[in-house]
Order: sequence, then C-alpha cells, then structure tokens
Amino acid sequence: MHIDWFVFFAQIVNFLILVYLLKRFLYGRIVKAMDARETRIRQAYEEAEKCRCEARELADGYQRKQDELRQNSERMLNEAREEAESYRKDLLQKTRDEIEAVRTRWRETVDREKDTFLEDLRKRAGMQVYAIARRALADLAGSGLESRMADVFIDRIRDLGSDEVKIIRDAVRTSGGVVKIQSAFHLSPEIRQRVGEAVRRSFDTDGVAVDFDENPDVISGLELRTAGHKMAWSLGDYLESLEENFALALQQEAQSR
Amino acid sequence: MEIVGMDQISPDQVIFWTWGFVTINATLVYTWFVMAILVAGSWWITRRISRDLTIPRWQNFLEVVVSGIRGEIREIVPERADYYLPFIGTLFLFIALSNLLAVVPGYVAPTSSLMTTGALAICVFISVPLFGIVGHGVKHYIKEYFQPTFIFFPFHVMGEISRTLALMVRLFGNIMSHEKVIAILLAVTPLFFPVVMQALGLLIGLIQAYIFAILAMVYISSAAQAHDEQLHRSGGEKAH
Repeated sequence: MHIDWFVFFAQIVNFLILVYLLKRFLYGRIVKAMDARETRIRQAYEEAEKCRCEARELADGYQRKQDELRQNSERMLNEAREEAESYRKDLLQKTRDEIEAVRTRWRETVDREKDTFLEDLRKRAGMQVYAIARRALADLAGSGLESRMADVFIDRIRDLGSDEVKIIRDAVRTSGGVVKIQSAFHLSPEIRQRVGEAVRRSFDTDGVAVDFDENPDVISGLELRTAGHKMAWSLGDYLESLEENFALALQQEAQSR
Repeated sequence: MEIVGMDQISPDQVIFWTWGFVTINATLVYTWFVMAILVAGSWWITRRISRDLTIPRWQNFLEVVVSGIRGEIREIVPERADYYLPFIGTLFLFIALSNLLAVVPGYVAPTSSLMTTGALAICVFISVPLFGIVGHGVKHYIKEYFQPTFIFFPFHVMGEISRTLALMVRLFGNIMSHEKVIAILLAVTPLFFPVVMQALGLLIGLIQAYIFAILAMVYISSAAQAHDEQLHRSGGEKAH
C-alpha cells in the first residue's frame, strides 16, 4: 500500500491547527461562558438560599412575636375583663349606696315632716280642744277654763305624796325660794292668787316667791318649775295619745297606698 | 456519482493537483472542508456569546456538545477535564463530523483514508508521553517503561505501538469498509436498503468517533495516573 508522507504530515498539521482553532473559537469561549453562567446560577442559588434562611428566620421571629402578642392580648383581655367586672361591682355598690342614702334622706325628710306635722297638729289640736273645752265649760258651768285648770292643778298639788312634797320643798329651798308657774294662756290675778296660796300651803314655805309666766309650749295647762324639778298638768298627755293615734293612722294610710 | 471508485480503496488515490512531492488529494480537501465547517461554525456561533441565563439555540447546541465531551472526560479524569478538552474534544468532533457528512452525496469521509487515521493515531501516540512529561517530568515518565523490571521495557514500547496501530486501523477499517458496503449495496439493491445502511453508518460513525476519543483519553490518563499512583506510593513510603 502506498503511503503518501506529504498527506500524512499534512493531516497531522491540519489536526494540530484544528485543535488550536477550536480551542480558540470553541472550547475557550464556551467553557468560559458556561463557567460564568454556572457561577452566576450558583451565586443566585446561594443568594436565594440565604434569602430563604433570612426569610425563615424573619418568619420565625414574626411567629414568635405573634404568639407573644396573642398571649399578651389574652392576658390583657382577662385583666380588662377583671377590671371591668370590679368597676361594675364598684358602680353597682356606689349606686346602691346612693340609693340607700337617698332613701335614708327621704325617710328622714318624711319623718321630719311627719314630726313637724304632728307637732303642729298637737298645738292646733291643743288650742282647738282648749277653745272647745273653754266654751263648753263656760256654757255648762259658767266658769272659765283657766279657772277650772287652776282648780285641777291646785288639786294635784294638794294630792302630792309626802315624799314628792319633800323633794319639791328641798328644791324650792335650793333655788332660793323661787317657784315659776308657766301657762299657755294668761292667768287672771284671782287665779294667780289661788295658785300662789296653794303652792305656799302645800310646800309650807311662806317666803316663797311665785313667778307667773306665759309659755305657748305648755299646751293648755299649768307647769310648776323650781331648781331641777317640775310638776305639771296639761292637755299634753291627752294630746300625746292623740298624736300616737294620728301617727298610726298616717302609717297605715301610707302602707295601704 | 462516486468520487472514489470501487477499485480505489481510499480517497488518497483521488488526486486533484500535484507539484513535486506536494499532492493535493480528496483526503486533504475533505479534511479542510470539515475543518472549515467546524471552525467557521464555532466562530459564527461564539462570536456573540451570551453569558446570561437565556442563550441562543445554536449556542445551546454547542454547550450541550462541549459539556457532553467534558462530562465524558471527567468520568475518566475527574480533576483536569478542561486541560484535556481541546485535544480530546477536537478528536471527537473532527472524526464525528467527518463520518456524519458521509450522508452528503459526493462526500468521502477523510477518516476512510489510512493517512488521516494514521495521523490522528500518531497525534495520540505522541500526546500520551507528551501529556505525561509536561505534567510530571521526563525522568518519572521514562521510569514507567521499566516497571516492574527493565525486562518489561520492550513490551511497554510494543504495547504503545500496537495500540496506536489498532487505533489507526480500527477507524480506517470501519469507515472505509462501510463506504464500500454502501457502494456494493447500491449496485445490488439500489432501493431502500442503502438508506437503512446509511442510517446505520451514521451510528457507526458516531460510535467510532466516541471510541477513538475515549481510547485516546484512557491512554493519556492511564499514563498520567500510573505515574500519579507511583508518586503517591513513594510519598507514602517516605512518610513512613
């Protein structure tokens, strides 16, 4: 077989040239481009991985914060509930107290009004009874009511027990011999004299000075006052029972309404 | 029309021009043709190479080819694939394109010439010690031929020569015989069957290119690897 050495060596040279040219135009460029792209992709991947890690950390952080917030909100809600409950109780208690205070005030007012009314009633009734009794006595027996009251008062003084007489006598002495007779109405000189004599006789003290005085608080009667002691007769006792009856009637009326 | 007749065994015998010992035959012309396609194609595609994530389809094609070759080399030499890539890759691309263009009417594969396959085999033959020596030095490389004893030297040399011859003849035989078979089949059964054989020829052409390149890589790497192992061994002994 014929060997063409020129072609043989030419093929060697051709091949070496081809190696050089391909190295320059193909492998070098392609490998560089691929490596660059690989590096870019790897960097992008690493970056993405880093971002994912950061995102995960952030997400974990937010999750933790959310949990804390939830726990805090529950706690705060509970606290708020408890506060609201206690505030409600306080308000309720305060309202109850106020209502109670108003009711008490109202009761006191009502009691006061009642007392005033009864007081007024007693005075008016006393005056009325006095007027009626006076007229009736005048019509029937021709004597004044004052005189009759003085009689009754004198009778009372006379009927005092020895112990009482002694106590009053001591009191008169302590007061320096002054006895004060109070009446709701004006006493005539004749009645004053009778009463004065009765007092001197009963307490057996001649030098006693009897002062007469008018006092509207002494309801339709007479009152003897000396140092720390008092002796009286008046319509007050009767009127007190009348007042009790009135109060009872008022209460029953109020309850029935 | 057949450029290489049945009586002519190789494209070497189709001579276009001759002046003294300079002979321009079909082998050289078709080699230049293949070279021109490879170089022009590479230049054209890579002249505006893109390094972005989106790339033109032809660049993508070249990247697939190059990364495929790189992957094959890396299977044999994991560390220095890019170092051997131009030599091994050019062997594969040149032989593959030479063989694949055989489907073009009027074309004769330069690899069906013993001059071409011989030249390529000689390149491998020279590159084996060259890569070894460039990498590790002359002394260590030559020492390899006297392992385990000096008696083995002739056998090593014979092995080198015989495997080079085997490379040369394997490629030549396969491509040349296939072309002849196609020519004979065209004469016997001109319809359909030659088409199947042409398709088979494409497969054989690719396989031969793959075999040639892989064997070259194996020869080169085995020389370098044996040397590396010896270095490791001696280093280990020194350490002990």
